[in-house]
Amino acid sequence: MFCLSELEDTVRVPPSDLNLPLEVAIKKALQKLFLDKVLSIGLCVSIYGIKSIEGGFVLPGDGAATYKVVFRIVVFRPFVGEVIAAKFKESDSNGLRLTLGFFEDVYVPAPLIPTPNRCEPDPYNRNQMRWVWKYGDDEFIIDDSCQQIKFRVENISYPPVPTERAEDAKPFAPMVVTGTIDDDGLGPVSWWEACAPISDAED
Amino acid sequence: RVKANAGALTNFEVLDLLNSRGASKDTTRVIASETVSRSEYKVYDYLMETAASTQTRDSVTKFSDKCKGFKLAKAEILNIINLRPSSDVELTPILEKPDEREIDIEGILALVQELLPPLPTVEAHKENEQEETEDGEQPNMETSV
Repeated sequence: MFCLSELEDTVRVPPSDLNLPLEVAIKKALQKLFLDKVLSIGLCVSIYGIKSIEGGFVLPGDGAATYKVVFRIVVFRPFVGEVIAAKFKESDSNGLRLTLGFFEDVYVPAPLIPTPNRCEPDPYNRNQMRWVWKYGDDEFIIDDSCQQIKFRVENISYPPVPTERAEDAKPFAPMVVTGTIDDDGLGPVSWWEACAPISDAED
Repeated sequence: RVKANAGALTNFEVLDLLNSRGASKDTTRVIASETVSRSEYKVYDYLMETAASTQTRDSVTKFSDKCKGFKLAKAEILNIINLRPSSDVELTPILEKPDEREIDIEGILALVQELLPPLPTVEAHKENEQEETEDGEQPNMETSV
């Protein structure tokens, strides 16, 4: 789900940081610019390293030094078809929302939840709906008692930034991963625990 | 100007990177750390609950090399390393169209068992819902407050 990306960008080191060693100052500026931000290539998770630094010019009227930097970052960008373990975050009538902690916009829309299923108001949480999968005579509830939920990536999208929003709209998600749990081995891990693992290390 | 994909990384490699920066499980770390940011710690916490936390560079490299005989795509090998499947039902969702290719499922699972360390034992997050331990014994724990 992670990969390295190489970028080149113009970085401004503010005068207050000019006493730091150059690499440290540039890294600090890069972190402020990129860390935890969504780019067209995914969510930037960490600055991997700096490859080259050029410049250091001070533009007129500006106390900061400007550098042209080539650097590599670690990006979270899952591939379509990848299976990822996540935790339950919330659910509503449209489907489930899962989280990885550092990334919280994984959505499993209703059509990608195994059928037959039903959606009912959650008795423990008045604002939520919860999903229940019916398999044979058993019913399996999907809620936050599921320790781990595995999903497979169907799609990644980068919605454009909205120009206008309603007052109570959910916070804008610049990167959305759509997943499915409708296949063998997917969904809450507890659903599949009955399938024997290959051997267990008991000796 | 931009090379979007300069190489895929396994979860292990990302965790190794964060470890080399000084990430740890110590509770005072988030406030004290100058080298690992809060958002990086969220990635660290996620990875520590996955197979990556028990893997070593040696085991991951050896596994990738030996996978060459199984006709798997690079992305599938990466996914297997990240999830460390231990049964057929855990492995098949990772593979693309397994029925149309002749894949040695048993062979892959045996290799995983042989080369990749077992998953970490994750503490249950809900104290009231302790499940039985793997051996089938009842957990001998104090009841929750």
